[in-house]
Amino acid sequence: MAPETSARTTRRQFLASTALATGAATFSFAAPAVAQRPKLIYWCYQFLKESDDARANFAREWAKKNNVDLQITMVPLKEFLPKITAAIEAKATPDIVESNAVELRGRGQLLDVTDIYRRLEKTYGGWVGNAHKFMLEPDGRVHHILYGFQGFMLIARDDLLRDAGLKPPPATWVELLEHAKKAQKLPRVYGLGIPVSNQTDSQVWEDMMKSYGARLADDVGKRVILGDHKREVWEFLDYFTEVWKAGVLPPGVATWDNTMNNSTYQSGKAVFILNPITLSLWLEANNPELLAKTGHYTYPRGPKGLIHPVTFGSRSILKYTKVPELAKQFLWESMEPGKMDRELSVSQWGPALKAYLSFDVWKKKPFMKGLVEMSLRGEPQGWPDVFNDAWREQFTNTTISRMLQRLVIDHWSRDKAFVETLDALNRIYAKYV
Amino acid sequence: MATRERSMAVAAAAAAPAEKGPRSILLRRESLQGMGLLTPAVLILLGLVLYHFCYAIWLGFTDKAVGSPGRFVGLANFRYVLAWPQFSAALVNTAVFTVSAVAIKFVLGMAVAVVLNQKIRGRNFFRAFLLLPWVMPAFVVYLVWRWLYDPLSGLINYALLDLGLVASPIAFLSERSTAMASVVVAHVWRAFPFFAISFLAGMQTISQELYDSAEVDGASRWQQFRHITVPSLYHIIGVVLMLSTIWTANAFEPIYLLTGGGPSDATVVYTLLAYLMGMVNLRLGEAAAVSTLFLPLLLGLILVVTALLQRKTQ
Repeated sequence: MAPETSARTTRRQFLASTALATGAATFSFAAPAVAQRPKLIYWCYQFLKESDDARANFAREWAKKNNVDLQITMVPLKEFLPKITAAIEAKATPDIVESNAVELRGRGQLLDVTDIYRRLEKTYGGWVGNAHKFMLEPDGRVHHILYGFQGFMLIARDDLLRDAGLKPPPATWVELLEHAKKAQKLPRVYGLGIPVSNQTDSQVWEDMMKSYGARLADDVGKRVILGDHKREVWEFLDYFTEVWKAGVLPPGVATWDNTMNNSTYQSGKAVFILNPITLSLWLEANNPELLAKTGHYTYPRGPKGLIHPVTFGSRSILKYTKVPELAKQFLWESMEPGKMDRELSVSQWGPALKAYLSFDVWKKKPFMKGLVEMSLRGEPQGWPDVFNDAWREQFTNTTISRMLQRLVIDHWSRDKAFVETLDALNRIYAKYV
Repeated sequence: MATRERSMAVAAAAAAPAEKGPRSILLRRESLQGMGLLTPAVLILLGLVLYHFCYAIWLGFTDKAVGSPGRFVGLANFRYVLAWPQFSAALVNTAVFTVSAVAIKFVLGMAVAVVLNQKIRGRNFFRAFLLLPWVMPAFVVYLVWRWLYDPLSGLINYALLDLGLVASPIAFLSERSTAMASVVVAHVWRAFPFFAISFLAGMQTISQELYDSAEVDGASRWQQFRHITVPSLYHIIGVVLMLSTIWTANAFEPIYLLTGGGPSDATVVYTLLAYLMGMVNLRLGEAAAVSTLFLPLLLGLILVVTALLQRKTQ
């Protein structure tokens, strides 16, 4: 009996040996595999589905090829700042982000990527237009890599303008108002779909004001000088009051959010809007008939010239990353021209590197031609003011649009509205001196 | 014997405060033990509530921005916020929005609760249906209301124009005279079911005998409501009003999604101002200062509601 018993495996022995075998298998195979797969967290800017998909798909393929454990999150632009704010405060930041690099750079949150900037410049024939102004800091360092330009364009219903006997585009803001008055068909179609609300899209009025010669701050972006430009501001306010009284702005513009100008144009209720070409990409997919009647133009000029600032899309690396070299590798490879060719053909971005200028997309889609022009000539947002934290804060506070609302909603005098605006600007800029 | 025992007990009770015997020691030990057992829970509660509360107030005295530790700056944030052009408007608007919305929700909730407390056909269906606005996600509700109010394609303007009641569309959300009222209406629509359901639950606990007796005594429906229903609901009214005052004063979505605080500063409230300063401008110290400055207003509103109800209850 005894030898027989010893030869048999008891339940306890069986469990022990199974556990041992499982443990051995886990530690001998899985653990090294995990150690070999570095983790990369990527927050992708979410705006236009095809473009978002193209960038996200590239990231997934890249991760697979490089055996990286990629965690990708699509973050809508509007939610980005609250989300990254919480992430930084909670010390749970992503490695790479696609938005608000200037704000994060200003707060010292980004990793230096000057080496990638120089390498891209050298390899791909240099940067387009004023791209360097967006990236290079006074000390020569770079903290984010531009992958594309975008900006507001004058988008117009060419068919309605021709019906009214007009030839697009209007050359000046005054001419724009005249065109809008003549081409609109009230109450179905309004002349100008431009918001005058507390949303940042309303700050296009700031660009208009600057084309009348006004400036917010001095050349170094420290001291408010709007008070020295009272005459120019007055001239602009006269123009705005005329626009308001002409009835070319649809009812409700005083509380429009950043999507309402799009939806108004998409539903055929506006002759002109100022918007990025995201609208046209939407029309291309959903309403090609309306796209065929639509023209895309640079801004009209003011009495003192053309002010047509551009914005950008860029990638940056948070300084807290545990995989800086891997993140840099991603930044470098994501700018490869073959990949960018595919991406830009479904995106709202204009070319950032000279190697991208030869892409077919600029020839294929007529509405994309304007993007190249804008990318080559566009000045940084805020121009001729300096794009810094103070300018950005007055922009998000929509100070100029609020001044306009004081005139037409609250019926304040020009003096009173101007004094309040000047005071708000001084308070904001004083914080950053 | 019984009388003797009773007198001894009375004598013992009279002597109790001065007693320093083993019973007293036992009681003291029990009480210490009780406090000891409660201490961890109290400490956790203090940690969860008080720490964050005090930290939020402390932030208001620093120049804390996103990613920076923040330095003590005294009252600088408070001075900045108090002088900010939209602050006084936010103060007035928060009070107007809270008081008017809570008052309307109270009246409407009570009226609906009274109706649904009657024996009407389909009562259960209506009771369930009533909860619909309350259970819908806020952003969906307010986006629908924005569309309803829209002057170019909104249903309300469409109906008004079609019926010939107005000559041109009304920009409900974009005119100073109608913006706040429009936001209040949308908010009331979403939030009044909470009042109605709470009051209805309270009404169902009131004994029918009270109403029967009142009817025998010749009391009218109004008198029954005033002297039986409302007094029986005082405690529920108190809790509901207090909760709703807090929620309404802190409401963010209705303003953010419907008007963005506009037109001009006609609907800006303190939560929006704090959001703008903290989450958009990334200046957390200023946002904390806004919240701290509004604390007395919120506490004041809650105290007024509580005091009024306590007086009624007494």
